[in-house]
This record gives sequence, structure tokens and C-alpha cells, in this order.
Amino acid sequence: MSTNHQQHLSLPINKVPEGRLGMWILIGGELVIFGGLIAMYLQFRLRYPQWSEMAAHTSTAIGALNTVVLLCSSFTIVKAHEAAGRLDVHKTLMWMSCTVAGGLMFLVDKSIEYYREISEGFTFTSPALQQAGDHVDSLFWSFYYIMTGLHGTHVLVGMIVMITIMFQIRKGKNLHRVELAGMYWHMVDLIWIFLFPLLYIAK
Amino acid sequence: MDATLHKQSFWNKYIFSTDHKVIGMQYIIMGIIMAGVGGFLAYVFRYNLAYAKASIPLFGHLSAQQYNAFVTCHGMIMVFWVGMPVLLSGLGNLLIPLMIGTDDMAFPTVNMLSFWIFFLSAVVLLSSFFVPGGAFGGGWTMYPPFSAGGYLNHNPEFFKALFSGTALMILAVALELVAMLMGGINFLVTTINKRAKGMTPFRIPVVIWFINIASVIFMFSVGPLVAGAFMLLFDNILGTGFYDPARGGDPMLWEHLFWFFGHPEVYVLLLPALGVLAEILPVFARKPLFAYKPIIYLALVSAVLSVLVWAHHQFVAGIDPRMATFFSIGTILISIPFAGIFLSFMATLWGGSIRFTVPMMWVLGFIGLFLIGGLTGLFLGSNTFDIYAHDTYFVVAHFHYTLFPDIFFGFFAAVYYWFPKFTGKTLNSALGKLHFWATFFFFNGTWFVLFFNGLAGQHRRINDYSDFSLVMKEPYMTFEKVATVSAILLILSQFIFLYNLFTSLAKAKKGVKNPWEAATLEWQAASPPPHGNFETYPVVYRGPYEYSLPDANEDYLPQSVPSSPENTITNNDYEHKSSTAPIAAH
Amino acid sequence: MSIFPENISTYGNEIDKLFWLIMLFVGIAFVISLFVLIYPLLRYSQKASPKAQYITGEKKKHFKWVVIALALLLGSDFIILYSEHDAWGQIESAPAKVDVKVGIIARQWNWIFVYPGPDGILNTSDDVIVDEQNSSLHVPINKNIAFELRSQDVIHSFFLANARFKQDVLPGRTVVRWFNLTKEGKYDISCTQICGILHSQMRNFVVVESEDKYKQYIDSLYKANGRAITMK
Repeated sequence: MSTNHQQHLSLPINKVPEGRLGMWILIGGELVIFGGLIAMYLQFRLRYPQWSEMAAHTSTAIGALNTVVLLCSSFTIVKAHEAAGRLDVHKTLMWMSCTVAGGLMFLVDKSIEYYREISEGFTFTSPALQQAGDHVDSLFWSFYYIMTGLHGTHVLVGMIVMITIMFQIRKGKNLHRVELAGMYWHMVDLIWIFLFPLLYIAK
Repeated sequence: MDATLHKQSFWNKYIFSTDHKVIGMQYIIMGIIMAGVGGFLAYVFRYNLAYAKASIPLFGHLSAQQYNAFVTCHGMIMVFWVGMPVLLSGLGNLLIPLMIGTDDMAFPTVNMLSFWIFFLSAVVLLSSFFVPGGAFGGGWTMYPPFSAGGYLNHNPEFFKALFSGTALMILAVALELVAMLMGGINFLVTTINKRAKGMTPFRIPVVIWFINIASVIFMFSVGPLVAGAFMLLFDNILGTGFYDPARGGDPMLWEHLFWFFGHPEVYVLLLPALGVLAEILPVFARKPLFAYKPIIYLALVSAVLSVLVWAHHQFVAGIDPRMATFFSIGTILISIPFAGIFLSFMATLWGGSIRFTVPMMWVLGFIGLFLIGGLTGLFLGSNTFDIYAHDTYFVVAHFHYTLFPDIFFGFFAAVYYWFPKFTGKTLNSALGKLHFWATFFFFNGTWFVLFFNGLAGQHRRINDYSDFSLVMKEPYMTFEKVATVSAILLILSQFIFLYNLFTSLAKAKKGVKNPWEAATLEWQAASPPPHGNFETYPVVYRGPYEYSLPDANEDYLPQSVPSSPENTITNNDYEHKSSTAPIAAH
Repeated sequence: MSIFPENISTYGNEIDKLFWLIMLFVGIAFVISLFVLIYPLLRYSQKASPKAQYITGEKKKHFKWVVIALALLLGSDFIILYSEHDAWGQIESAPAKVDVKVGIIARQWNWIFVYPGPDGILNTSDDVIVDEQNSSLHVPINKNIAFELRSQDVIHSFFLANARFKQDVLPGRTVVRWFNLTKEGKYDISCTQICGILHSQMRNFVVVESEDKYKQYIDSLYKANGRAITMK
């Protein structure tokens, strides 16, 4: 009877591993959330062409650097997945550390960028702008911070999850989870690929 | 066998259980408790509507702010904290693993977490009643700028704004949505991956199909609202201007975000209950479900259409009139697939041999009442007539004639039907029938008259109508009293159910496996099913509704019983069969 | 006794007629559906029909009934959509000839009426504003009255039940609508979008009067006032 249980459980009827299926569905849900946010931003951007003046204050250099950083870290997580497939714990941990380091660099760059923008008076609500009578411009920054902030939170969560998995891999367990972390990380990267041109290039 | 392998502590077994049956029960119990809260709120404001300015028994005087908060919270609670946990999470958790023949959900820990996040969301919502200012009172629709802290909200005091009724309500809804998203992932992966051998897609019971379709609709319509809810929250606590026209924002944006989710949400609530109907009808008509495959296709069509009709809630909001025409067309046409599903349900009765058990009565009552609800939707789907009817009691009567049968009749049908399976005991059927008739009668007493009040021009969300001459006359004032008295009796009738529930639970377990002689897989498990569900995991040979087969000796053929010993399939040799007919040719 | 309040607008009739048209289809559908639901409960109860028939609905001769019913429903749907179209266009756009223009501003918690002033043009400095609880909007009978709807604060909704007219008012946008009222009298305006603690008190009036009485009212109003306002 336990054999029946065992066999039954290890032979999913559709042969799609459950973790992957679950992660695809999660990614789908997240894309709709960010997709909605991006669609809203686009709608407002088309309505307020004067936002290009505000967009000029975002740092294309830091944005581009972050894009490169995320792309590289997507590459390193792929290498980690490869290593995990070979059951090479050492290499897997090495590549995952690189990915986490990439995430950390992203967040550091972001913090520097936020610091600069905030000291220029461009905050979530930008009261200075509102007082100056540019009542529409502060809304640009509200969108900027909510989009990049939500994205940054996802980067942070991804890093925490990856570190947790790394602890499990050290003991030789759950190597299959590297792939799931990789899928999540690619999603985070993909969202950034959309945010970057919208917020940093279209000026 | 499983019981000895996983010896569980009290906490693991009953509180932080990862067993889908326990989690399903937890959701249902929370739903029942919240229904009590929502019902009490309704009692209070209905009393106020019939007897304005009176002191309400068990409550006292109702202020205008409280009235607004109570109608708002009544709606929020009934949709998110009663309908969703009971029909989607509760039934989904209880039924999916059992009806597809597996041991548990694909991600049991995530499942357990989803319940506790849901529990937290309920706590946050209820706490909003007790903060300064009280709960939010701007309608469950939460339209800004009123819900954004007001149009003057430029520099809110952060903590004061965070612990306000408005912010807490937004947070509570956000948490609830997260819990439901986690549940949805579980349902989909489990149904796709963990079905019994031989259970091809068109042998899956309708309720499982519908719960999964509902999960997909939910997950892909809620995304923009999650983003929008963050924006509303930040407008409240940080003073951003996402919905403030003075700062370039747009209140209409929220309306679209809310209804883009809000409309599919009612189908998310409806589909599981329709699934319950689809399971019960064949059993008590002793006939296969009529047009099983078309029903699935019609539900898929409805799911697609459901995301194309949302702006019928905004016909008079100031949207482009041409856009309104588009949405009116979609709304009126969406009646077709649902009519197809209901007609198929009714066709199941024709030529049957109908037993009037308590579950069957709830099903029949559901269909009759939903007919009224659905048909009155045609009036509101017409953009021109909606100019008059929008925000009147006609709308209130319409959505209660759909949502109440959906949530309550659907729930009671499911409870009376599956109670023997999950407890091994039986509910008293005489009390069950009394409960049904009382609920049916008093439900109509409460809402039928309100159609007329709505057509007379009585608008919604008003605590005191004494200024409005169209309403302050007969028969509308009497109708208000009729509605209130019926509502009170409706609420009291539910105590018949609670009494039945508690006294039946107190009796000894009989453990009858299949008292209704039903063909789906859950009836092959013990009553109640142990942790792990099945002694031997079933293999499926046919569709779920094989009743009264003309050549068979038996009155029905369960899904997991081979028609002859030679046709038995073991786990080792496995064939795909896509037809719903039995394998053995006759 | 009619189930609707008295109709006093030119397009109100269209709305009432549309209701009865839909009611015709809904009524027929309801009666037929009740028959389809209830008849088998008697004819095919366990006592009357001890053995059920094995009907899956896969055969054409059975399924065709569902198809026929859906076709009939589809036909009624098209008739309804066709019938509503004209009136919708009429109500949602101002007519070519506008006799009187007024401004209606919603705020927490009363309706503000703006008359165009002696120059006859709205949004100029000689507009006259009536901003009081329970005040009345005076309009002449049988004239096309166009109005600009605005909100000063949150979302409100202007409902004149006797005219069958309703329009939500959102801050930040101006909506232009119209009506032509055909009977003298004083009629309730209510707010049909919950807007705060005194939402229930947002009740003003529309007074429909003869052209002479209307002119008298306007003259005395302008004489007593003459205050300018800048529109938001």
C-alpha cells in the first residue's frame, strides 16, 4: 500500500514537475500586477508629455548599469542551475553567490540613485514640486518610486529566498530549487527590462 | 498506516495543519463566523431603514457614520470573508484532492500559510471598527477621492493614517487577496498534476473544473487591483496623488481597476457554487449530468467574457458613451453561456428519478432564485435603463438574488451533501427541510419588495430617507418594514442550521461511506477520510456521472470501479481513454 | 399605480418603454424556465418515475433544445441592444439646440447651481451661484436645458428620478448633459454616490415652471446677486 502511495505520488499524470508549474503560475500573477502598473504609467505618460522634463532627472547611467548587473546575474543563476544539475554543490553555491551579489549591487546602485533624487527634492509626494505649481509633475515621481520600489522589493525577496536555498544546498538538499529561484529571478530581470526604457530612456 | 508514520501534535493536527481537509474546515468555520458578523451588520442597518432614528435592539442608536461603515463592511465581508473562503478556499480544499483521488494538495505548507494569512486579514478588517474614526464608510467599492483620505489629503500624519479605518480596510483586502492567490496556485497545480490514473480531463468532476477556472479568472484579474490598492494606500498614508485630479491623478482609474477585478470576481464566486449544483443534480436525479462537455466549454467562454464586461458598473460614471455601448453588448450577451449552463442543469432533471433530499432542495431553490437574479441583470446590462436603475435598490435586489443563492444556497447544498463524508455523521433531514423553506421564504420576503423600491427611485446607501418624497410614501415604507422583518427572520432561521449542526456533530460516528450512492471518487474514501485520504489510491475508468446505465445491473457505476475484473487497470499498465463512456463495450 | 415615479422628461418615456420591452422577454423566459424547472419535479419524481433514463445530452435530439433556447435568448438580446441604442445616444449627448445653460456643482453636502448671468454665458464673472441646503434649480418648461456637471471634492452623482436622469460627477472633469422637462412642479434631486457622512442629506430640488415665472425668478435672483466665481 505504501508502494502504491509512493508510485502514485512520483508519477504526476502530466509529468510537469510541481514546483515549476507552481512557479509559472506565480510568475503569471506577478506579471499581471506589474503589467497593470506599467499600463497605468503609460496611460499617464501619454496624457502628460511634460513628464519628459521630470524623466530627465533619472540617471540613465545608473539605470543602464543596473540593467547590465541584472542581466549578468540572470546569466550566473543559469550557470548555478547547470551546476546543480551536475550535483556540483560547490559550483552551485559559487554561482548563486554571484547572483546574490548582483542583486546586492542592484540595490546599492538603487539606493545611491534614490539618495540623489531625494536630495534634489524628488520624493514620493514631491511637496516642493507641488508648491511650485507643477501639480502634475509630482505624480511622475509617485509612479517612479512605486514601480521601482515594488520591483526592488521583489529583488530583495529573491535574494533572501536564494540565500535560504543556499543554506539547504550546503547540506546537499533541495538542489532542484535552484531552477525555481532562477525562474523567479528571470521574471525580476524581465520586469526591469520593461521599466528601464520607460523610466530611463524615454526622455 | 499514514497515521502512525505522521504522529501529529495538537498544534500540527488542528491549528497549523497542512492537511487539506483541516484547512478547508478552518476556512469554512471562519466564513461562518464572518457571515455572523456580516449578518449582524445587516440586521442593524435594516432595522434602521425600517424604523429610522429608533434605538436598535442589541445595538442602540446608529449614527450616520456607523450606517455608512456598516453597509460598507457588510458588503466587503460577505464578498471577501464569506463567499471566497467558503466557496473557493473551503470547497476547493475539501474537495479537490478527494475528488481527483490523491492524498493532499501539491504544496501543503503554502496551503497552511494561506489560511493563516487569511485569518490575519480578517483580524485586520475587524480591527478597523475600533480605531478612531471607525471603519471605512464609503461603500465596498472604495471610490477615491473619498477613500484616499479625502481630497485635501496632502500631508497625512503617517501613523494616524495607517491606523485609520480606510488604510486598515485596504490592508485587510490586500492580505485576503494574497491568501487567495496562494490558494489558487495550489488548486491549479494539484488538479493538473495529481489526478488519479485514468482521470483524463473530461472525467474530472465539474466542481473541480469550475473551481480551477475560477482560480484562473481570479489570479489574472486581481493583478491590476493589487497595484491600484497600493496606490490607494499610499494616497492615504503618504499623501501621494494617484487618484487626486489636482495632482494629475484620476479617480476614474480606480473605478476601472476595481471593476476590472470586481466583475470577474462575481464569477469567481459563482463558478464553485455552480459546480456544487453539477455534482448534486445527477446524484438525486439518478441521471448523468446533461451536456457535461458543453458545460465545461460554456464555463470557459464565460470566463473569457467575464473580463470584457466590467464597465457596466460605470455606465453613468462619465466613460465615453461608445465604450459604454461596447460593454452593454458584452454584458447582455454573457447571459448566453450562463443560460446554457443553467438549461443543461435543468435538463438533467428531465427523464430522471428525482429524490427530494435536503441537498437537492437547496439546489432547486438556488436555480429558481438565481433565475430571477440573472434575468434582472438584463435590465441593468442595458446602458440606457441603467441610467435610471444604477445605484437604486433595484441593483441591491438584483445582486442579492444572485449572490445570496450563490453563496448561501450553494454553501448549504454543499454542507448537507458532503457532511456525511467529512464527519461520518448525518444531519437531521427534517430540520434541514425546515431550514430550507424558512430561508427560501424569508429571503424572498426581504428582497423581492426591494425591486419595487428601486424602481420607485429609492437610491442606495442612505441612512435616513425622510427628505425624499419618492420614498416616504406607501407602499414603499411598508415594503421597508416587510424587508426588515423578513431579514430578521431570515437570520434567525439560520439558527435552525446551527442547532442541527451541533446536535448532529454530538452524535456517534456511523461512518457510512456512500450514503447518497454517488459515483465520484470522494465517496470511495472512508467517512471521514484519514490523513492521506485513501487506503488504496483509486484508478479511474469512466466519467463522474454514470447513473442508470441501461445495460448495467447496478443503478450507478462509481468512477473507480472497473466494469469487469478483466478490465481492471493497475498502476503499472496505464491507458489513455478520452471518452466519458465506460470502457467495456456493451 | 405605476411602479415608476411620474415621468416628466422627453426621453424618460424611452427608458420606461425599454423597461417593459426587457420585461416582456424576461417574463417569457422566466415562465418558460419555471416550467422547465418545476414540471420534471412532478413528472419525474422518484414515485412517478422509478427508473431514470440514461441521457447524457450528447445526442442531437436532446441537445437541440438547449441550442433552440439559447438562439431565442440571443435573438431577444439583439432586440434589446438595438432598442436601447437610440435613446442612449440621445441622452448622453447634448442636443443641437440648447435653450438654457446652467452649471451644477456637487459638493459635500449639497448641490450648487450656477446661472450664466446677464451675459448668458457660463463660466464668466457675472455668473450667479446658488449655494444653499435644499435650494432649487429653476428651469423653464419644455425647453432643452443643458448643464455642466462638476464636483468640488469627491465623487457625487446627480439623480433626477422624475426625469429618469442620472450622471456621476467626478472631480477633475466636467460632464455636459441635458434634459427637457414637460410638467411644472417641484422634484427631488438626490445624490447617488456615497460621498460621506451627510450623503443622505444631499437633497435639492428642480423647479419646473412656465417661461414667465422662470424669467421672474431669474431677474430677481440676478438683482439680489451678481457675484463672480472662477471654475475649478
